[in-house]
Amino acid sequence: MSVFRRISNLFTRSKVEREIDAELRSHVEMRIEDNIADGMSPRTARRDALLRFGNLTTTQERVAGEDLPLLIENLWRDVRHACRQLLRTPSFTVTAIITLALGIGANTATFSVVNAVMLRPLPYTQPDQQVDVVSMNRRFPDGEGGNLSYPDYFDMRSRNHTLAHLVSYHDTSYTLVEAAGPVHVDAQIVAWDLLPTLGVQPELGRGFLPEEENAGSRVVLISHALWLSQFGGDKSIIGRTIRLSDDSFTVIGVMPATFRFPMTSPQNGIWTTLAVDNTPSDPSNESMFNERGAHFLNAIGRVKPDATIAQANQDITTIAANLARQYPKTNIRHDAAKVRSELTALVGNTRVALMIVLGAVTLVLMIACANIANLLLARMRERQREIAMRSALGAGRGRIVRQLLVESLVLSAVGGLAGCAMAYACTPVMLSLIGKSIPRAADAGVDLRVLAFVAGISCLAGLIFGIVPAITGSKTDLVAMLKEGGRTEVSGRDWVRSTLIIGQVALGLVLAVAAGLLITSFLHLQRTNEGFNPDHLLTFVFETPDARYKESRPEFYREYFNKVRALPGVQKAAGILIMPMTDDGADITFEDPEHPAPEGQRAGANVTMTTPDYFRTMQIPILKGRDFSDQDTAASSPVMIVDRAFADKFFPGENVVGKRLRPGAGNGGEPQWREIIGVVGSVRLSATQRDMRPEMYLPASQLSHWCCLHTVMRTTVDPLSLEPSARQLVASMDREIPVTEVRTMHDLVSEQLSQNRFAMVLLGIFAGLATLLSVVGLYGVMMYSISRRTREIGIRMALGAQRRHVLSSVMREAGSLLAIGIAVGVTASLLSTSLLQSMLYGTGSRNPAILVLVSTIAVATGLIAAYIPARRASTLDPMQALRTD
Amino acid sequence: MAKNDLQGALDLLVLKTLAQKGSLHGCGIVLHVQRASEELLRVEEGSLYPALHRMEQADWIQSEWALTETNRKAKNYRLTAAGRRQLQQAEESFEQLVKGVRGVLRFA
Repeated sequence: MSVFRRISNLFTRSKVEREIDAELRSHVEMRIEDNIADGMSPRTARRDALLRFGNLTTTQERVAGEDLPLLIENLWRDVRHACRQLLRTPSFTVTAIITLALGIGANTATFSVVNAVMLRPLPYTQPDQQVDVVSMNRRFPDGEGGNLSYPDYFDMRSRNHTLAHLVSYHDTSYTLVEAAGPVHVDAQIVAWDLLPTLGVQPELGRGFLPEEENAGSRVVLISHALWLSQFGGDKSIIGRTIRLSDDSFTVIGVMPATFRFPMTSPQNGIWTTLAVDNTPSDPSNESMFNERGAHFLNAIGRVKPDATIAQANQDITTIAANLARQYPKTNIRHDAAKVRSELTALVGNTRVALMIVLGAVTLVLMIACANIANLLLARMRERQREIAMRSALGAGRGRIVRQLLVESLVLSAVGGLAGCAMAYACTPVMLSLIGKSIPRAADAGVDLRVLAFVAGISCLAGLIFGIVPAITGSKTDLVAMLKEGGRTEVSGRDWVRSTLIIGQVALGLVLAVAAGLLITSFLHLQRTNEGFNPDHLLTFVFETPDARYKESRPEFYREYFNKVRALPGVQKAAGILIMPMTDDGADITFEDPEHPAPEGQRAGANVTMTTPDYFRTMQIPILKGRDFSDQDTAASSPVMIVDRAFADKFFPGENVVGKRLRPGAGNGGEPQWREIIGVVGSVRLSATQRDMRPEMYLPASQLSHWCCLHTVMRTTVDPLSLEPSARQLVASMDREIPVTEVRTMHDLVSEQLSQNRFAMVLLGIFAGLATLLSVVGLYGVMMYSISRRTREIGIRMALGAQRRHVLSSVMREAGSLLAIGIAVGVTASLLSTSLLQSMLYGTGSRNPAILVLVSTIAVATGLIAAYIPARRASTLDPMQALRTD
Repeated sequence: MAKNDLQGALDLLVLKTLAQKGSLHGCGIVLHVQRASEELLRVEEGSLYPALHRMEQADWIQSEWALTETNRKAKNYRLTAAGRRQLQQAEESFEQLVKGVRGVLRFA
């Protein structure tokens, strides 16, 4: 501060003032000379001159007051004065700054993330024309929608009139073998016109050509990140041939660093055309291009400039209905379609969670603003006497308002800066809490516009609540104010502040109840039995390319798992096609001779494939019958195992072991009839599922075409410590196979719960924040109320009031504010928490235990906040109190 | 019309003094007005210097530091072209004021 002062004085004030000073002094000196010349003695001459001149300093200031450049200097003086004022009341200043920092910081961080995920348009050209296309079942119009098959897709692409482009895409993965060894790369198989649809150009090289969809074509676009990491950013990569999972591809382009497609898999490294799907997977089979029943394609389109999304929806739905009429066998469940904006489709699932967060942010922002308002109102009342005194001494109203404005601005600026720092500190933390489970979150950063908006709102609240009392305050009757100012306090006049406090308590309570519900749900999800024992389990997966393993997979896996079991530290090991707790699943229909149904209306259940020993490795109980064994081979009779949920749903009360079913999963040819040989306990396929889903287990050894098995290992040591030996083992069997997704089962479960954890942690933070802010607010209000009533309390005590009476009267005041606030808050949360319904597990949206708990916490913290000022009031020395004004 | 107040009169006195004497410091202005008005008018220093400062900001006068006959450093003021125009206006409007006031006084 002093440095600035010196600098500013150097340039403006001191120069002007020194000159004025010199001029005035020379005037006085000349007068003295004159007087001496007139015959006065030097002493009388000086005295006369000074008398004639009057107050030197006042004159000097009046001269300086005429100076225009000094206006800025005066402003600077106001700022310094404001700083001194703020420093003089550190509790007020610190509270206000913390409130602003928390309000601005937390809100900006959250709003930035929400904006990045939900509101920001897609980073493509004309994103509002981009649409997501899914197939629908007319009987379930509210369903999420299903995928397309290649024949359906081709028909939709050629028959529609409303889409400029329609691009299919589905994920795959390749093993890229470069000098550094094999790496696993996520890839997308797309139609040729992906780039025109998105309106994106490659950074290097060119996009796909229409003829590159033809059978035999092998071209790829690679991501910027892959280009740097695997090819050292070498520009000669264009035109080069690379090896991807035993096939050769030509690199035709490198995409820009910011390019993401699809948004849900930001790590994607390779895009190739659907030509790779145009090969029969085995000689007896037809190409995927002809399998109308294989629904696995996603589709993104661009509507024509003269068409609307609604028209496109109509158009594609009609095509889907016609296809269902034409091919009822395969398309009976896909007799409609849904075309909606790509952004809507992308945000869909996360909308509820993000909306909840946004609601919480708004509440906290309101609480923060209320707090600032309350603090400033309290402060203004405190200073009314000071203001009156200044007016009495001749300060104009404009001058007073200007100074108060400067004070509010200084406070807002400091709080705003602290808020910005907070925002930058919070955003990375919040992103790490979200994890990778929410699309587009990875690209989020502090949004400067959001920061400006939130800071603006908070500071505006500060200004409004700082200025309004300043203006009304400077209008008050000076004499009355000076006479009684600071001596009386009628609490009834404090209704504005009381209302603000009640509002804060109520809002805080709503947030805390919501957080409580989410925490309860989260604990419930974590406690819920998975159906297996997740301790000491290591899981990973590697690809076994069809080119080499198509027929030999059973032998390969048998040998492999025997070697895994022999590793030191491994108790048991087995393979499974679809891991539980991954929210992954393949639903297929099965034929049941006891409940015959025409094709298209048959019952379906989840299906997966395992090796022997899977249930013992996972510690899933075998309830009836037996496990698969090494004797179940392609040559032996086909078998299957079902879980308890399957038996209970489809064969209630019956013994299912020995029954024969035909699940629609074949090994190239027709699916086979299978005998049920065992019933096992149910496991959760997803951490957030509400009921156990029926599941069929088929022996991997009888279905060699299905790729690829995840390895699960039950270890006696820390599971992750076995990662190197597992990798070594796989490399020793095939040097070109990379091992991926190495994680413990606990990590997998916690990843699954990340969205719930995200919502819970955020709401928890907000609830804490809200409680803290309202406690601070209550404390502040009580503190001011006490300091204003010091004299009154002193008189009461002098007249014989007991300390405990004083204490209880203050606590009563705080208690009634709290009680009203809690009543309002409980009512509001009863009315609003049903919004959370879809996020809740194991608890209703109206949980009396949580309401009671949260209210108790609110009462306890509130009373503690009130107790400190109350105690201070009750320990006042009456004499001291009477002397203060 | 008669927008002449005390300040206008002070401005007029200062401008006229500078017009007559060319260049003069604050003390000299006070003494000149005193002498020329035969001790009837006295310019207060507390009003003179703010007025000088204001007129300088308005570019009616300009100042420079110089030595007095007694070898003292003093700030001397002189009229600018704008100051001369201002003086002419001020004189006219003062004449009007005097005429007006005299008219009212005679009427009685």
